[in-house]
Amino acid sequence: MVNITVNGTQHQVDLEPDTPLLWVIRDAVGLTGTKFGCGIAQCGACTVHVNGQAMRSCSVPIGALEGATVTTIEGLSTDSKHPVQQAWLAEDVPQCGYCQSGQIMATVAFLKQNPNPTDADIDNNITNICRCGTYERLRRAIHRAADLMKA
Amino acid sequence: MNPMKFLAAAFLIVGAVPLANAQDTKPAVVVPSAPQMSHGEYVARAGDCVACHSVPNGKAFAGGLKMGSPVGAIYSTNITPDKETGIGDYTFDDFDRALRRGIAKDGHRLYPAMPYPSYAKLNDDDMHALYDFFLKEVAPVKQANMKNEIPAWLSFRWPLAIWDAVFAPSGKYVPQSNHDAEWNRGAYLVESLGHCGACHTPRGIAFQEKALDDSSTAYLSGANLDGWSAANLRGDLRTGLGQWAKEDVAEFLKTGHNRDGAVFGSMIDVINNSTPYLSDDDVTAVAAYIKSLAPAENQPAYVYDASTTTALNSARATEPGAATYAGTCAACHGNDGKGFAPYLPRLAGNPTVLDKDPASLINLVLNGAAPLVVKGAPDAYRMPQFRGQLNDEQIADVVSFIRNGWGNGAGAVTAKQVADLRKTTDPTSDQVTVLKMR
Amino acid sequence: MDGNRIMPNTSRRSFIVTAATVAGGFAVGIGPLSRLAKAAVVGVQPWDTDAHNANEIDAWIAIDPDDSVLIRYQRSEMGQGSMTAVPMMLVEELQCDWSKVRIEYASPNRNLREKKVYGDMFSNGSRTIKGSQVKVQQVGASARERLIAVAATRWNVAPTECSVKNGVVTHTASGRSFRYGELAPDAAKVKLDKEPAIKTPDQYTFIGTPMPRMDVPHKINGAAKFGIDAQIPDMVYAAINASPVPGGKLKSVDESVLANAPGILKVVKLDNAVAVVATGSYWRAKQALAKLQPEWDTNGAGGIDSAQLSKDFHDALDGPMQSARNTGDVDQAIKGAAKTIEAVYETPYLSHSPMEPMNATVHLQADRLDVWVGTQDALDATEAAAKASGLEEENVYIHNAFVGGGFGRRDASDEIIQAIQVAKVVQKPVKLIWTREEDTRQDKFRPHAVVRFKAAVDKDGMPTAWDIRVVTSSILNSVGRVIPGMKGPEPMAVAGLSNNGYTIPNQRVQASIKNTHLPVWFWRAPGANQHTYAIESFLDEIAAASNLDPYQLRRKLLADKPDWVKVLDLAAEKGDWGKPLPKGTGRGIAICEDTGSLCAQVAEVTVSAKGDVKVNRVTVALDTRIQVNPLSIAEQAEGSVIFGLSAALYGKITVKNGVPVQGNFDTYRMVRLAEAPRIDVHLMPSGGKLWGGAGEPAVPPIGGAVANAIFAATGKRIRSFPIMDHDLSGSA
Ligand code: FES
Ligand code: FES
Repeated sequence: MVNITVNGTQHQVDLEPDTPLLWVIRDAVGLTGTKFGCGIAQCGACTVHVNGQAMRSCSVPIGALEGATVTTIEGLSTDSKHPVQQAWLAEDVPQCGYCQSGQIMATVAFLKQNPNPTDADIDNNITNICRCGTYERLRRAIHRAADLMKA
Repeated sequence: MNPMKFLAAAFLIVGAVPLANAQDTKPAVVVPSAPQMSHGEYVARAGDCVACHSVPNGKAFAGGLKMGSPVGAIYSTNITPDKETGIGDYTFDDFDRALRRGIAKDGHRLYPAMPYPSYAKLNDDDMHALYDFFLKEVAPVKQANMKNEIPAWLSFRWPLAIWDAVFAPSGKYVPQSNHDAEWNRGAYLVESLGHCGACHTPRGIAFQEKALDDSSTAYLSGANLDGWSAANLRGDLRTGLGQWAKEDVAEFLKTGHNRDGAVFGSMIDVINNSTPYLSDDDVTAVAAYIKSLAPAENQPAYVYDASTTTALNSARATEPGAATYAGTCAACHGNDGKGFAPYLPRLAGNPTVLDKDPASLINLVLNGAAPLVVKGAPDAYRMPQFRGQLNDEQIADVVSFIRNGWGNGAGAVTAKQVADLRKTTDPTSDQVTVLKMR
Repeated sequence: MDGNRIMPNTSRRSFIVTAATVAGGFAVGIGPLSRLAKAAVVGVQPWDTDAHNANEIDAWIAIDPDDSVLIRYQRSEMGQGSMTAVPMMLVEELQCDWSKVRIEYASPNRNLREKKVYGDMFSNGSRTIKGSQVKVQQVGASARERLIAVAATRWNVAPTECSVKNGVVTHTASGRSFRYGELAPDAAKVKLDKEPAIKTPDQYTFIGTPMPRMDVPHKINGAAKFGIDAQIPDMVYAAINASPVPGGKLKSVDESVLANAPGILKVVKLDNAVAVVATGSYWRAKQALAKLQPEWDTNGAGGIDSAQLSKDFHDALDGPMQSARNTGDVDQAIKGAAKTIEAVYETPYLSHSPMEPMNATVHLQADRLDVWVGTQDALDATEAAAKASGLEEENVYIHNAFVGGGFGRRDASDEIIQAIQVAKVVQKPVKLIWTREEDTRQDKFRPHAVVRFKAAVDKDGMPTAWDIRVVTSSILNSVGRVIPGMKGPEPMAVAGLSNNGYTIPNQRVQASIKNTHLPVWFWRAPGANQHTYAIESFLDEIAAASNLDPYQLRRKLLADKPDWVKVLDLAAEKGDWGKPLPKGTGRGIAICEDTGSLCAQVAEVTVSAKGDVKVNRVTVALDTRIQVNPLSIAEQAEGSVIFGLSAALYGKITVKNGVPVQGNFDTYRMVRLAEAPRIDVHLMPSGGKLWGGAGEPAVPPIGGAVANAIFAATGKRIRSFPIMDHDLSGSA
């Protein structure tokens, strides 16, 4: 039994300890905003924050998370008013939208570490795949979010 | 009912069927209820015969596995009891001679890829049991042996007789009275059946293992093989297993995992097919013996240095590999380099990272790790390959960053080292293949 | 599913568990930005919750007393924005308040029960807009006239004396007015004598306005529900492996290895696949599945590898062919030519790899089947599901979800059929998900193609003839359908080749179909996505051989097609064609017609001394003739460039022993942010009667533009994709 806090609510997880956090979130906790794309930490669709750090939840075993605090896209804000979400709206970033929870969660953590990113910083750090190819708007939205967060 | 309220009010238990040992945070290893293993099969497991004498999706022990050697490709042979193509007409003495001295029934000498210098140490009991297993339990398979791809001028086998005369010992394992029974059992398993030295002991100019037992500090002190650095198993504090407790060694052999993470490279064959099938006592004995090996060098203990973490957390790490690490590696191994034991390896202080020879680390980044299958249970996590995504400089930079981060102090690698390994190694397949013994 | 999950009291039509999230009402995320205040909305679960609405005017439209307008959208939303654009076309006629519009998927089941009231329901071939336009404008116009008729009757005036605006009918003379909400109940009963005429493009006032897509607010907070997100009470999870060699059959599988695995319900053996069903989490099913070592009967295909396939295709270049186009006398022209140029181009198999792996959730009951899935074709899904379940089509309910990427892949319904087959065995609602590896390897691939060009050029270097021979596989053969009366090779085999826009007097295009054990399928801009690269590169070869500027050569060859020239000119101008560049950097240009639209692109590429290729910038000029929502058209063009770029730079599926080698994204690489060029899209709708597509036409040119730019930078001609397989070191 592993105790974790997801978006402020405490959960006891009774699944095999090698179960990736992703499936705990989706199948046991029942939050489906965190997506499955590859299962091997390649795409980032499953990105959540574990103790404040962006992690790819498909590659984080629940057995190693005793006491961890997890934030998913649903816990980012109650009203979609987080500056990163606002920037996403303003730039009309998502297409199919499947990768976007992960893109947003990766960006939120990244901007916390690097509030004034250059294009190169963004390229190096946001490595999530978007099969729809929303990168042009994504890059603009990250810059916009950085500005919003400063304002 | 408002779901949010429900969530806030309750202390939720999520998940389905409670496990019997739910407190246990070790991986739930599923042991198929295998029929009782015979003594001979156990010995074959301990010797990991199947790993070399079978090919994926082929028949067990029918041979055909291609192995590189300094003189050309060698194919393993059919050791099923088929009379025509296998060893069906071997008497016990023929079998014993092949295993101990590397001489086939027809008199030709085996290449030392067959670790007969190690098997020479087998005791008679085990040898008889093994013979019985291969002749009576293994199903005969008619499959002709492949021709070795060794240039004609090198393929005369008589020089091997000289090799054998010089390098191959002939003695059976003799228990050492200054050690207890457990240690001696461990030594026997490691030095003979386990033939650990075949990979982990450096080889001399004639391709011979530099030592065959612990009388020399060269023994099991690590070696480069097929693009991997087979680990130094001695007690060196940084580059050996000095940091591991006996339990860590045992857990590794049993599950392919421990607090440093997961097995990779050709050792996966060993975990997939051999050590998890050994009895707990035998595994503990092996661990005891390994832990008794004195360090080859006097090294200061590894000390974690958090400055790398701090720099990554505030995007202030300026080393060329830091950005690649942040975007590509940190998602699993963490900015703190600590990973998630026992599944995702820590990079901080991991002996593989600290290894003087960076081959394994480079190889892992280039090619990923093959799927680990412990007693039929595939591993939950695997290292992906990056050869298609990162160029030689990027890999060199990120490997250097890892080798120098968190107090590792293992030194940089060059793009040329990466380029060379890229040329001589192949990416691993993500497809799970379990070699079957029957 | 666990007993401690929250279950709302729902009718069986809305089985979906409301997750404990902020996924609330329709207004989530709307508000802060003024332009969004005008946005229409869609639910987070876009699928039909109830097939009928009390305030329906007809199957398409319901207007509630508070004037909110429900519009049913009959195709798919996979990011292309049609779920916004199609209702825009309806609202153009209906003249209601866009901010009061709510959109949900039309029910495919109702379509069947009510004489195809929604017509076709597919989204493919970039036809969602053009294929819906007449119908939905008519629906909107008709509803408007009926609302007016009710008002006119109440006032006892002639309908012609009334006008509508923003959901209000006004009697012009008296100034009296009714809101739509007040009129709707009666409007449902009105029968018009004759259907009103629909607006022509010159009369549009709303179509053509850039509007934010109404699905976007749900896609920034995790609320949008994709097929993979469906949660049904008592649902179990299935993971599946089909024969790794396509076409193979399951021989045997030893399930005893799962004896102690937790939560395993069942191993289901299908004809060509094995599935494991687990309770509690998909992970259990996936892990257990990986333990099985099934044996397959590979049907003789187990020995095939890519080198052999490639050789077979090359060999077939000299074999018999079917003619797709034959103008002038090619042989004669080549005989008398000042010079001839020849080259062979090759493009590999590709996987679609939508971000959301294939999945389907089914609830099979004795008399009813519900399927939650993201599909590009809900009617095909219905048909396939009916067949697999043995139920009548009218008892099949497909609940379409937001589609996590389609690109053609979700035109097929294989995952639905599998889920039903599994559900039949386990007798429970089943959510079946493919692993990424399964998604890649069990794809129906973009075909492999080999094209041989031979051109004759005159003394000025201008081409006078070309002879094009292509060898590729048949998509229709995989689909199992034939085009009635089709003569010559199927259109996809020669798309981009036979319909090239160039005025070259003698042209012959022929194709030979070679089918292999790998099924092939529609892949964003079928045929054109690969052949445009080949033909545009070859044209570049002619330009190089003739010492002509590639842009000017195209211009001359397109001289009698002003619409093409305009698009080409704009791309060249905005892409800085001809301006000086540093060493190692080059520009390439390419143009195509696809789905009725014209698209030209200029790519600027830098090749490093080590041979690394970086696409710096791509300029797109796109003429979709008429545009409904320019914002999503621009987005589609941006996305198409990236999609085509992944294929050009990295994409290939190879086979070894009959098995596709690439599995996950570590071996099947995608363009990421770091490799994504700056993309400038210039829309230039030329109007007219044609409606061009938007989802695909920007895919075909990018490969050729990049390959030509590499040539400009290095002098190296890329005659096969992917580019990463070419060693360009030292060439720049
Ligand atoms: S699903 Fe976790 S990174 Fe792709
Ligand atoms: S929006 Fe579709 S994958 Fe990113």
